[in-house]
Amino acid sequence: MMASGVANSGTFKISTPSDTEITLTRLFDAPRHLVFEAMSKPEHIKRWWGNLGDGYSVPLCEVDLRVGGKWRFINRHPQGDAEFYGVYREINAPERIVFTEVYAPFPDAESIVTAVLTVEGGKTRLIATSKYPSKEVRDLVLGTGMERGAALSYDRLDEVAMELAARK
Amino acid sequence: MRPMTDQLTNTFAALADPTRRAILARLAAGECSVTELAEPFEMSMPAVSKHLRVLERAGLIARGRSAQWRPCRIDAGPLKEVAEWTEQYRKFWEGKFDSLELYLQELKAKERTDDGKRRGK
Repeated sequence: MMASGVANSGTFKISTPSDTEITLTRLFDAPRHLVFEAMSKPEHIKRWWGNLGDGYSVPLCEVDLRVGGKWRFINRHPQGDAEFYGVYREINAPERIVFTEVYAPFPDAESIVTAVLTVEGGKTRLIATSKYPSKEVRDLVLGTGMERGAALSYDRLDEVAMELAARK
Repeated sequence: MRPMTDQLTNTFAALADPTRRAILARLAAGECSVTELAEPFEMSMPAVSKHLRVLERAGLIARGRSAQWRPCRIDAGPLKEVAEWTEQYRKFWEGKFDSLELYLQELKAKERTDDGKRRGK
């Protein structure tokens, strides 16, 4: 297990509350209004969202923060560009935001993301749940490496893939 | 470098079907004929052949050239890319959230400075 050394890194968790959902949670050492702002204003999003090191950037970040407003991000990474877009459905600053999300290569696999921010002893907990159109799509997004030991309905494909990858 | 996204799109589309995943799981145990593959699925030969064509197009399986007995075997290449991609997904969010935490510290410091300035005067 890698330790990133960043504060609260160990609080990052991935879980599957239902057959069609993935929940990401993490604690942040900042007041709730700042976490909400950092997640919803382009000038802030650009600074952290695609900032994973050399070769990563956010060449495009559009946010129309109102119900029915569109958002669109492009994440540039060493293998190319990953485009995500969607529409805001609910905005209740600073505690809750609901939006649709599409990963551009899979336009039919729209997910609905509900992000909830709770205050926890001076820190802020983010609970972001993505709901996918089917278990199959959810499993594809979740894939193999996301959470060690999670029993996913992938027909052992993850083990198979790893085994074969190691053999090559 | 090959265009990753197109390869992954094909691979994911091929993997999106549970029968095709089961076929791959079976082939992971060793190569076999179409007849052998069809057996556990209660499916017609044409239906199995159709799944095999999708898997073949995605590069997930390769088929022997002999006309009568065309054994199918699994090809690790695209699966390895899927494994790498999904590991990236976990790292992607872990990395993004770490990045957000660091950025929030900057925002917090800035907010304190701004507050200080306002109150100081």
